[in-house]
Amino acid sequence: MIDIISTPILITMILGTVGLIIPIIDAMRKERGVNHQTYGSIASGALLVSIFIIIFRVFNGEELPIISFVDTSVLTEDMFGSFFAIVMLIVAIMVTISSIEYMRKTPNPAPYYSLLLLSSIGMVLLAYSSDLVMLIVAWELMSIPTYVLTGFHKNNPVSNEAAIKYFIFGALSTGIIIYGISLAYGLTGSTNIAVVLQGLVQIDGDLRPIAMMALAMFIAGFGFKMALVPFHMWLPDAYEGAPTTISAFLAAATKKAGFVAAFRVIILGMVALNLEWSLVLAILAILTMVIGNLAALTQKSMTRMLAYSSIGHAGYMLIGLSLAPFSHLAMQGSLFHILNHAVMKSAAFIASAAVIVTLATSNIDSYKGLGKRMPITALVMSISLLALAGVPPLNGFWSKFILFASSIDAGSTVSWAPALAIAGILTSALSLGYYALVIRKMYFEESVVAKTKRVKEPKIILVVLLFALVFMVGFGIYPTPLIEFSSISVPLTAELP
Amino acid sequence: MGVIETAVIIDYVIVSAVLLAIGIYGLTVKRNAIRILFSIEIITNAAILNLVAFSRNLPIPNVTGQTLALFSIAIAAAEVAVGLALIMVAYRLHKNIDVKEFRSMKD
Repeated sequence: MIDIISTPILITMILGTVGLIIPIIDAMRKERGVNHQTYGSIASGALLVSIFIIIFRVFNGEELPIISFVDTSVLTEDMFGSFFAIVMLIVAIMVTISSIEYMRKTPNPAPYYSLLLLSSIGMVLLAYSSDLVMLIVAWELMSIPTYVLTGFHKNNPVSNEAAIKYFIFGALSTGIIIYGISLAYGLTGSTNIAVVLQGLVQIDGDLRPIAMMALAMFIAGFGFKMALVPFHMWLPDAYEGAPTTISAFLAAATKKAGFVAAFRVIILGMVALNLEWSLVLAILAILTMVIGNLAALTQKSMTRMLAYSSIGHAGYMLIGLSLAPFSHLAMQGSLFHILNHAVMKSAAFIASAAVIVTLATSNIDSYKGLGKRMPITALVMSISLLALAGVPPLNGFWSKFILFASSIDAGSTVSWAPALAIAGILTSALSLGYYALVIRKMYFEESVVAKTKRVKEPKIILVVLLFALVFMVGFGIYPTPLIEFSSISVPLTAELP
Repeated sequence: MGVIETAVIIDYVIVSAVLLAIGIYGLTVKRNAIRILFSIEIITNAAILNLVAFSRNLPIPNVTGQTLALFSIAIAAAEVAVGLALIMVAYRLHKNIDVKEFRSMKD
């Protein structure tokens, strides 16, 4: 049964109430006009309260199970879910606060923050869901608001085009996931993930192809959101056309939602079916890393370059998924990289949002001389790009280090595992090429057209950027707490049914 | 886990697989945004048909499948509402809903 005071229900009630009250306040207010500050602060306040509830429950409450498959409830409160809920709420807070400044001229602020909160509920519920019905409902609660948010600049054809492309692929992925669920239900007679996995273990030989088809449909469906390479074509357009803060939300939060669903369903299904799916996922990981990073090399627009680089990073996170049956450390690295990538990528996107607010452009050429014109934004941008590339004293280095080390280590069990590490290291070096180009433009090239005088930087966005800077440098110098946190959140494949 | 009575259920599964194929065909070939929306609906409905058929004919019949079918219908309705709204906006901007026209972003 659902426990009323369990974390997911509590957070649903807090965020849901605030998310529904914001449009009501807007309808009742006498004065018209664009008021982003009020609604933005209410929304970020609600998100802050929720993240403190989760952190408090994780560190002070009773001991949570790592990943729970015993009860038949639809939501389980476990460490794994809490880890992802924290990651997604961090991103939601960063996006909400920076939207106050980025969206300040856009009309209809109330629906914007309301939809952000509803999407956050979807992600939190997805992280905690242990039943396929709950999973698909949370998946849609997360997705549908983001379609609207992507097309939020409704008079801008680019934003609308991005939203339609994102919508078509998002809706297709939902359809495919429901089909996969229907096959899994037909084979096992239940939608509870634990029961489904138990059923798949004991399945008859002649029904095995159907089970494999169900698993393939899960990989394809979740792969659309994770932007694995054969399913990635919508992503650059959607991220480029969307409002840049929403691009941060998509890249850093909803992509992780694909991973949490994949961790809950695909990995465990992989272990249960005892198939060669690991190799398939490893090939997808290498393809994703190579194609994402190669395509990023030639981009002229900053947001589009970050979009391709986020495809490449999906490949790094997939290393942990593909090595899940063999290596506990790889999954830990994957979780750690998901947390790091959430902060790094949203910092990079929000920094480019700050540039768009002041200079009204996202072209990389207009970043020339930015080190003098917007020093703090340029500093955070460079640090986040270096962290994404995995330069040593920053947090991105440690997660990549764990991932690559674990895949070399897994070479003793599976012969192809070191290939993942080689591809990862090479593409990381490649990615430094296009990140360094931006940094060189910001610091070592003078702008020909514009003056090099310092311009006013948007203050509210700077607060978010400085938080990200402290996170990236702080946990880069002292990563132990995050490594331990990701280590206690890793689902143990050995304890599976 | 018992085995499903395949003879009873095979018709439903074949219809559902055909619907899935039609949906994917429509999605890849058609260029009108409304038709693409229809194709996505057909894929979802294929899954719903499967769910209801399985729910009725399992060795131990249960209602979970029908519950999920109802949820899926509601979800699909919400999704279509958003999709049609986006297509309306596109029509207002371009006077056209051909997805081939949507190519303002190129790498």
